Amino acid sequence: MSGAAVLVCILAFLLFGLATEAHHRRRCAGPLSSRRRRLLRIGAWSALAVAFVLAIAAAGWIFGPVLWTGAVMAGAAAAFLALNLLPELSRTYHHGSTGQSD
Amino acid sequence: MSKGFRQSQAFLHTWSGLLLGWVLFLVFIAGTIAFYREGLNRWMRPELAQVQQPMRVLAGAQTFLARKAPDAKSWFIAVADAQSPGAPVFWVPQPKPGEGRGRGRGGRGRRDNQALIGADGLVATARETRGGDFFYRFHFDLHYMPVIWARWLVGFASMMTLVAILSGIVTHKKIFRDFFTLRRAKGQRSWLDGHNATAVLALPFHLMITYTGLVTLMALLMPWAVVANYTDERAMGDALFPTMPAIARAGRPAPLLDLRTIAADAERRLGAPISSIEVSEPGDAAARVTVSQSPNATLNTRTPRLGYDGVTGRLLWQAPPTGAAAETAGVMIGLHAGRFAGAGLRFLYFLCGVGGTVMVASGMVLWTVKRRERLPDPQCPHLGFRIVERLNIAVIAGLPLGIAALFWANRLLAVGMKGRAEWEIHAMFLAWAGTAVLACVREPRAAWAGLLGATGALLVGLPLYDLAFTNRGLFAALAQGDLMLAGLDAAMLVIGIAFLLIARRVARHRPITRVMRRERRATTPERQEVTI
Repeated sequence: MSGAAVLVCILAFLLFGLATEAHHRRRCAGPLSSRRRRLLRIGAWSALAVAFVLAIAAAGWIFGPVLWTGAVMAGAAAAFLALNLLPELSRTYHHGSTGQSD
Repeated sequence: MSKGFRQSQAFLHTWSGLLLGWVLFLVFIAGTIAFYREGLNRWMRPELAQVQQPMRVLAGAQTFLARKAPDAKSWFIAVADAQSPGAPVFWVPQPKPGEGRGRGRGGRGRRDNQALIGADGLVATARETRGGDFFYRFHFDLHYMPVIWARWLVGFASMMTLVAILSGIVTHKKIFRDFFTLRRAKGQRSWLDGHNATAVLALPFHLMITYTGLVTLMALLMPWAVVANYTDERAMGDALFPTMPAIARAGRPAPLLDLRTIAADAERRLGAPISSIEVSEPGDAAARVTVSQSPNATLNTRTPRLGYDGVTGRLLWQAPPTGAAAETAGVMIGLHAGRFAGAGLRFLYFLCGVGGTVMVASGMVLWTVKRRERLPDPQCPHLGFRIVERLNIAVIAGLPLGIAALFWANRLLAVGMKGRAEWEIHAMFLAWAGTAVLACVREPRAAWAGLLGATGALLVGLPLYDLAFTNRGLFAALAQGDLMLAGLDAAMLVIGIAFLLIARRVARHRPITRVMRRERRATTPERQEVTI
């Protein structure tokens, strides 16, 4: 159950990351419309909420919130590393090497 | 206005972070390792078998103490579990007439009054080592210096950390927009992104660990509340850590009840495992047994205790509930130490600690990276720059090498050596001093690459040594289902490989960007970047 909480948190932060201009351009097809961005963010927040429920179910009301906070940090770190270090799957929509300018 | 404020915060962040950064790096790395204190206690005593039946160990401890110190003033038994190397026991002899009431803790005398009961219930002969407990102590007591000074230093460094974290949040311009940004191979930019990522991604942990770390030292750092409310330290101790009322020795011998009976009753009443048993006046009709609940089952480290009559096994006393303030402090210390954490959460604590260590290290390196680009003559930097650069090498690359040396000393020093436990620690400081010398005489890039590479090689070697020369190598531990030992060996392998990769990267690094930047700056001198 706590493993599931971490996985759902990773999913949440992957969605958050894909809702940013640079990572969306690198990894998704099509432009990042404001509607798509909103959907991604709603999905991400929902995943964090689901993770909270899972964490409470796994560890109870005393340790659950600690577990959830840990899972959120782990999810953010894993999504950060995945988005930045994994090679792009779809090269068709790849513009520029690092995407972002100063 | 806003810009002026942010710049003042950037200044604060830079200098509060730099000045005590080296102490902070040490505190972070030792604290991170100390999350696996129990695991290392076992890893550093590879001759001990894993405890399967804690009650058998407890019975063995009682048998041993009854034979060894039948008329002691008190016995102390740490209850074994699958994570502990066994049950450490110690005893305090009856005070001789005219002698002060010594506690027998610390000092040289204690060594003769203690033993370790192994998994089979007999006295275990293990190599003399401080194990993972060293890192726990080193984390706030440092070493080779009076404990009070060390705690003041660590406490001051923690306050500076809190300042650095808060001013860092203010300084970070786009904390959410840059949340997922990592610009790679871009010199200073990459260092800044890495520093920000390790700081922001684990920000809840950093804030929690710094604040609760200060709470653990609060009575030292802010003694006024204690002075104002309690007449002396003993009064405060009695309020915070109530003990069963002492009773005079009856002078009539009476057999002590089997401690397993009392332990089982206490576990049933508390609804949680117990961690230690203290027996006062064993073998006397007035024997008393105090049982403490394990902190593994609660968030609060100040756990409930029960007092029993040692002869009849009747429950005599229950520690009164402490006040809300004590409870808050206990919970904060519990959060800090993570004693309640199971395998998964403990690993998260560890990862966050690694993140914090990398945050400190990258911040310190960033100080030099940022200034190197602005040096008038990079071949001959000013003294302050050279001091920071060399200290960074000596601490950030040197301390991990020293720790690897400590682990090797644990494996290689002769088992019967005199003062062995201390020499393991001396080995760490000797190796660390060697790296400091190296950092001063070698060219920085060669020193970085050499030290990181050596650390990596030493760490990778440890699990290989275990495979070849102990019967608790990675595969043997896995076969026995001892995931903790297997995990520690695997972690050393992984961390060692990471060190080797970083060393290779440093060795191959050609600072092209520096030349390009200088050329660019020569053509457009007005383009100055304002970052932290």
